[in-house]
Amino acid sequence: MRRPATVLGAVLGTALTAAPGAAAIDPTKGTPGFCQDGTGVTVVVDFQELGGTTIVRCNPQAQRGTGLDALKGAGFQIAGVQRWGEAFICRIENRPSAVEQLPVKGKEGYREACIDTPPAGGYWSYWHAGNNCAWKYSQWGVKNRDFVAGGFEGWSFSLNATADTNPKPRIAAVRPGTEGGSCDAAEEPPPTSDDPNAVQPGSGDEETRREPPQPTQDAPAAQDPPPPSPRSDPDPPATQAPPRADPTPRAEPERPAVQEPTRRPKPESPAVRDAPSTEPEPPRAAPSGRPPPEKGDTLPRPLPRAARTSVPDDPARNVAFVGGEDSPDVSALVKEQSGASDHAPWVAAGAAVVLGAATWLTALRRRRARDG
Amino acid sequence: MRSRSAGYFLPRDLHPGAWWVWTLGLAVAASRTTNPWLLLTIIAVVCHVVIARRTEAPWAMAFRVYLVLGAVIITFRVFFRFVFGGAEGSTIILDLPEIPLPAWAAGIRLFGAVSAESLLGGLYDGLRLAAMVICLGAGNALANPKRLLKAMPPALYEVGTAVIVALSVFPQLAESVLRVRQARRLRGGTRGKRMHGLRTIVIPVLEDALDRSLALAASMDSRGYGRAGTAAPRARFVTGTLMIVGLGGVCVGVYATLDGSTPRFLALPVLLAGLATALAGFRLAGRRVHRTRYRPDRWRLAEAVTAGSGIAVALALFATSSVDPTNLNPSLIELSWPLLSWEPLLGVLAGTLPAFLTPQPEHLPGRVPS
Repeated sequence: MRRPATVLGAVLGTALTAAPGAAAIDPTKGTPGFCQDGTGVTVVVDFQELGGTTIVRCNPQAQRGTGLDALKGAGFQIAGVQRWGEAFICRIENRPSAVEQLPVKGKEGYREACIDTPPAGGYWSYWHAGNNCAWKYSQWGVKNRDFVAGGFEGWSFSLNATADTNPKPRIAAVRPGTEGGSCDAAEEPPPTSDDPNAVQPGSGDEETRREPPQPTQDAPAAQDPPPPSPRSDPDPPATQAPPRADPTPRAEPERPAVQEPTRRPKPESPAVRDAPSTEPEPPRAAPSGRPPPEKGDTLPRPLPRAARTSVPDDPARNVAFVGGEDSPDVSALVKEQSGASDHAPWVAAGAAVVLGAATWLTALRRRRARDG
Repeated sequence: MRSRSAGYFLPRDLHPGAWWVWTLGLAVAASRTTNPWLLLTIIAVVCHVVIARRTEAPWAMAFRVYLVLGAVIITFRVFFRFVFGGAEGSTIILDLPEIPLPAWAAGIRLFGAVSAESLLGGLYDGLRLAAMVICLGAGNALANPKRLLKAMPPALYEVGTAVIVALSVFPQLAESVLRVRQARRLRGGTRGKRMHGLRTIVIPVLEDALDRSLALAASMDSRGYGRAGTAAPRARFVTGTLMIVGLGGVCVGVYATLDGSTPRFLALPVLLAGLATALAGFRLAGRRVHRTRYRPDRWRLAEAVTAGSGIAVALALFATSSVDPTNLNPSLIELSWPLLSWEPLLGVLAGTLPAFLTPQPEHLPGRVPS
């Protein structure tokens, strides 16, 4: 018993001396509201049916970065599921919280525990858009594609939505002052293989970065056979490579600040990534041009989109939004919601020490009695 | 009334079933959480109760082997995070050079950056498994396997015999190691020669284990265990098949019920079908086993307290996990001290009750038998 305690103490000690303090929306990262110019990326978080005011923040990062970098760099507090880590984001700004009941169809009273892949009926859908472009449902995982410089990253909570009705963020992907401009963002090629490390062609470090699969914020299970104990097993399965070369999400390795990466769409059929479904899910493959909201254990074939529209939404129809400066502190909120006490860990540690001492004393007494 | 309350604490061995219920309750509780505070408390509770209530029987003295096993599990879990990449998370504490692997090994990485979050993840996970192993060790240390066999209902006779023989193998081996090592120490003069030491331990231990197995088999045979009695071979075959298929179904069903990501048709339907099949098998088996018990262990208040405290711990963790999963599975996205609320902690601490509220065993280590 003493040995594990020592190990725990040692590792906790090393880890926590370097621990950064947790905060809500991190005011040191990003700025509230839209980005002012073509540098950086605007991140829109639309809570939709969850309730709560949409938050718009800017990540002024000039270097390239992944969708995850954009989200974190804008100061949002996120949580990934235990099974897939930050490659599958299950909470943004503590929504949906662990105590919040979601009216997911077929799973009444569902609460997001952030342990396994969220259900198709309630998850954060991931969108992106160039400036003055229409929102597009991302075909790539949040760690597997780069954000569009000067463009938009959107997170919209999808509740009981089908492939066709997946709600896009209700903020037009138009920076103020650029209304009426034309969409100049190139089309992103859909994933073409089931290589778990595939990153979007043309993305900054396509050759060097090897990320876990997660094609799209929605099909983490597609590439790999389910790990032996998926429930609450933080051990990533061997085939699910932990992200490499990602020292800190903010401090990007020096990459050229290319505004428009060269796209190299691959000619092969984009229909490789489907895995047998183990869970009845609503039909994913949308007959329309909307990218299918793949989710859960299946990743359906990305359908060729008909009639791509690049007409942006009308900024006049934007919903009300805030910059998130007044958002409550997430760690404090979690602590309050979970009923955690500041004293309980001390009592736990104290109880362990007292019990350990009592154990040792009893053992000593027994040994004396036996030998003497 | 007074004599009964005075008699409550008279030294006696508790019903082995009570200890197993207690120990399994704690193991179930440990499986529900990766919170290191809770897991450490569970391990401390288990160690305390074992030391306070174990006898000097060989299986009881083997408890430390389980502790060593737990430490090994934790070490390996953390070590693997170093080897197979631990960069999930943003606090990099060690940047090892990465070994490039060929394309067919895509998805696996060797070494590379190691983050504090992934190390903690490995630690929490290892701690959970170690706590469960230590709980099982406690069951082996506290419950007398021979009396457990005696307490088996007739329907479980065949399965129970096999399970108990299997359960007692590891404690027997551990006890053999301790005994042989002690004998070597007493003989002396074996210092420094490692390989020689290995040979002088391994061979006697294996030989000892074989001897004991034969002795156990012979003694069980002479007492009528494993005898087919008057049953026809056909009936025995049917009974055996029913039981094995049924128990397999129960295993699959329980796993699927506990694991949320398994398809639902494997959960309740398979569990129920397995239970039904196994019950049919038990019924057939029980019908032809006619045994009487000599001085059966009785289930009294102390047994109820013990079993109840184990069940209470498991229930506490089940109840709170539906309320605050955040606390039971600490987030590793933001590096921070794991949170803990009172309910699961108090629930786990209820597991210490047997150390105070049960009678001491008859043969405490060190007590002169009267």
